[in-house]
Amino acid sequence: MTSRRAFLRHAASGAAAVVASAGVARAQRGLTHDSSVIRDSTNLFAMDQMAAQPVRLPPKPGATPQLTDAQRDELEHKIHCQCGCTLDVFTCRTTDFSCQVSPAMHRDVMEMVKGGHSAQEIIDAFVGVYGERALMAPRKSGFNLLAWFAPGVSVLVGGVAVLMLLRRWRAKAPLAAAAGQRGIDPAATDATPDELARLAAAVKGDGDA
Amino acid sequence: MILIGELSLWVALLMAVWSMTASYAGGALRRDDLTASGVRGLYATFVMVVLASAGLWTALLSRDFSVEYVASHISANMPNFYIFTAFWSGQAGSLLFWALILSMYGTIAIATSRARNRELVPWATGTLAAILVFFIATDCFKANPFTRLDFLPADGRGMNPQLQNPGMAFHPPNLYLGYVATAIPFAFAVAALFTRRLDAEWLAVVRRWALVSWFFLTIGIVLGMWWAYVELGWGGYWAWDPVENSSFLPWLTTTAFLHSIMIQEKRGMLRKWNVVLVVVSFLLSIFGTFITRSGVIESVHSFAQSPVGTWFGTFFFLATGLTIYLVGTRLRDLEARAELESMVSREAAFLYNNLLLVGIAFAVLWGTVFPILSEWWNGNKITVGPPFFNAVNIPLGLLLLALTGVGPLIAWRRASVDNLKRQFLTPAILGLAVAAALLVAGMRALAPIVTYALCGFVAGTIGQEFYKGVRARQAIHNESIFKGFIHLVGRNRRRYGGYIVHAGVIMLFAGFAGLAFKSEHDITLSTGQAFEVRDPYGRQWRFVSQGVSTSQRPDRVVQAVGLETFRDGKRLGLIAGEKRQYLDSQGNELFNPSTEPGIRSSAKLDTYVVLAGVRSSDVAEMRITFNPLVTWVWTGGYLMMIGGLIVMWPQAERRRAQAGYAAVLPPRPEAAELAGV
Repeated sequence: MTSRRAFLRHAASGAAAVVASAGVARAQRGLTHDSSVIRDSTNLFAMDQMAAQPVRLPPKPGATPQLTDAQRDELEHKIHCQCGCTLDVFTCRTTDFSCQVSPAMHRDVMEMVKGGHSAQEIIDAFVGVYGERALMAPRKSGFNLLAWFAPGVSVLVGGVAVLMLLRRWRAKAPLAAAAGQRGIDPAATDATPDELARLAAAVKGDGDA
Repeated sequence: MILIGELSLWVALLMAVWSMTASYAGGALRRDDLTASGVRGLYATFVMVVLASAGLWTALLSRDFSVEYVASHISANMPNFYIFTAFWSGQAGSLLFWALILSMYGTIAIATSRARNRELVPWATGTLAAILVFFIATDCFKANPFTRLDFLPADGRGMNPQLQNPGMAFHPPNLYLGYVATAIPFAFAVAALFTRRLDAEWLAVVRRWALVSWFFLTIGIVLGMWWAYVELGWGGYWAWDPVENSSFLPWLTTTAFLHSIMIQEKRGMLRKWNVVLVVVSFLLSIFGTFITRSGVIESVHSFAQSPVGTWFGTFFFLATGLTIYLVGTRLRDLEARAELESMVSREAAFLYNNLLLVGIAFAVLWGTVFPILSEWWNGNKITVGPPFFNAVNIPLGLLLLALTGVGPLIAWRRASVDNLKRQFLTPAILGLAVAAALLVAGMRALAPIVTYALCGFVAGTIGQEFYKGVRARQAIHNESIFKGFIHLVGRNRRRYGGYIVHAGVIMLFAGFAGLAFKSEHDITLSTGQAFEVRDPYGRQWRFVSQGVSTSQRPDRVVQAVGLETFRDGKRLGLIAGEKRQYLDSQGNELFNPSTEPGIRSSAKLDTYVVLAGVRSSDVAEMRITFNPLVTWVWTGGYLMMIGGLIVMWPQAERRRAQAGYAAVLPPRPEAAELAGV
């Protein structure tokens, strides 16, 4: 068994592609070790009930809540529950009553709302404790910019590439290019308008078929 | 039978190895006898895998808990229905399921195309067998479903309650049928590359199987959405979960392929690109299976975890390396005589369609793996969730929706201004009318208005096509509207089946845009207490709690809250949200309690009630969600399925002379002359 695995690993590691995969795999292994998740393979996902950490801000002097309940729910939609699910705090706590993490995070939110903190301050406090994974989507800064802009940029680059390709193809069709994009230029031929109309109809018929 | 199954799995491995070796050798040495043996080896592999599968099903249904797979995936008191589905609920079983479907598909594909594609068969068979070797070997060595325990447990660990839904019988098999079908075009593409026979002959086989893949992926994905919606209880159907994403990826590239292949059929262009799409679809399917069944990325689906990662990774990169090599060394054979008459033509529209589909696929893949990249780069753990995917994909999706309307209407080769005006006037007016109507009705959100306007536009183009087609038939054949419609679709299945799929896509988009108006209410009610609220349409709802009830079933304890529901004063009935605690046959608790939402559906709106918790015997915490237009999503899914079936249905060879135009042609001049003489 071991020798087979070792052999496979050796055989594979020759290719540069495999080196990349090993790097990714190592990163993932690190991920599972670090989060010290309590793995229960019978659960739909590995739920870590101990994941909640206290997030506190001292109440502001003479504090009055700045957020309505609706705004607080809206805020909780932006905070990622840490139990291991893919949901936000509001959705998790109102869905899965076996999760103890989202209610704890909800209590932290309520405390800070009571303490007069704004939505942004509360989000910052959560990021301060849990890191950026407390957000449902990465912030648009630093390395994360790559996440946000790579898809759009590559579609734009692809769009330009397609445009260039189309131009090259059109250059290869000299006849068609000479005829121009808007159909045949009447001045360039000695056909009668009637003939041109019949030609256009024939082309149209071809297109509809 | 269990023993036979286990032995069959090993024999299947040997058969697959033989089939691979003999077929490749037969292809390389041009020895037909070796090829024939390789093909028979593939058939034999299928038989052996069927026996192995029968063995596993026997073990499950006889509740033989000495088998580890059985003990860890079912409990004795589960209904047989779910025990049957436990076959694919774990890793070892689902790998066997892959092998089962692949050997079945392979047998069908080779048996039906053997006569027509003599040159390709050895290489295609060898490639299919090689993929089978990988899956069966992984099953034998790394995740054997027949592994015995050295003790006999009193009962098994049961099946996760959220898997105990009729969806379990349909969603995974359909998804697998879709995933695995990408292997056939892949095998034929590899064969075509090996033999340098990249002309039209492999296209027919590849297109047929790409359609099969697309069809089952579509059903699988929509069923998955439905299942998540009715079972998981978070109130939506798509969470951009890594596993959802990985099923979406091959769907996107296969959809791109099904469009771009039309350019190759009509014009002989895009041959390289089509090979790439076929290969990428297959690799994404492998990636999807890997994600689902490895637990690499934290996800709702990664309940099956074991060390198959290295094997999958190796296979993935070997397959990638092989195809990069093959495509690289055959670039010149793939050179096409590409020319284009106009930048405004259907060819161009298809290219942009492909760009967008592949662009969306890239965006989804990128967002799915980015957390790994980020942690690897600077140790920063991040979550890439729905806000990211929505922000990135909504613009691309809307562009694609617009193209759905434009593409089918502009002519091949060249579209004239006249042609454009004639075709687009009515649909454009319809789209603008929809936007105006929504603005008048008070809608102000930009993205939904744009979506609905585009939906109106695309619906206009589709309606116009059907109208014109039926009118033409009526004029020529004097048919009724209904009969004309049936004949129109029946005689041009690819074209009008495709339009029906597009109509389904419109309904999906309309449903997605409805989510912008979703509203949620987190409430606590004691018995008899009422909650009043307005829905997104401004109608007044009243929910009166009927209290919490508890009942006992053989395999579960159920807690439920009933809400007597009124809309604008009219009684609508009871909506009940449940919590279930599943038990094994000894009465021990299995898993965490699970949610069973109460849903009342209508065309306009779903009312979705989740029991979130019970404080005391009569105080219930719950969430009420108003989900507009969810039924549109399911209807759209049905339409896509029907359209797909129409496109797939084998067209009779003798095409009735282009939907009957021959009937009105004048008699041939020679015939007239002869008659005159």
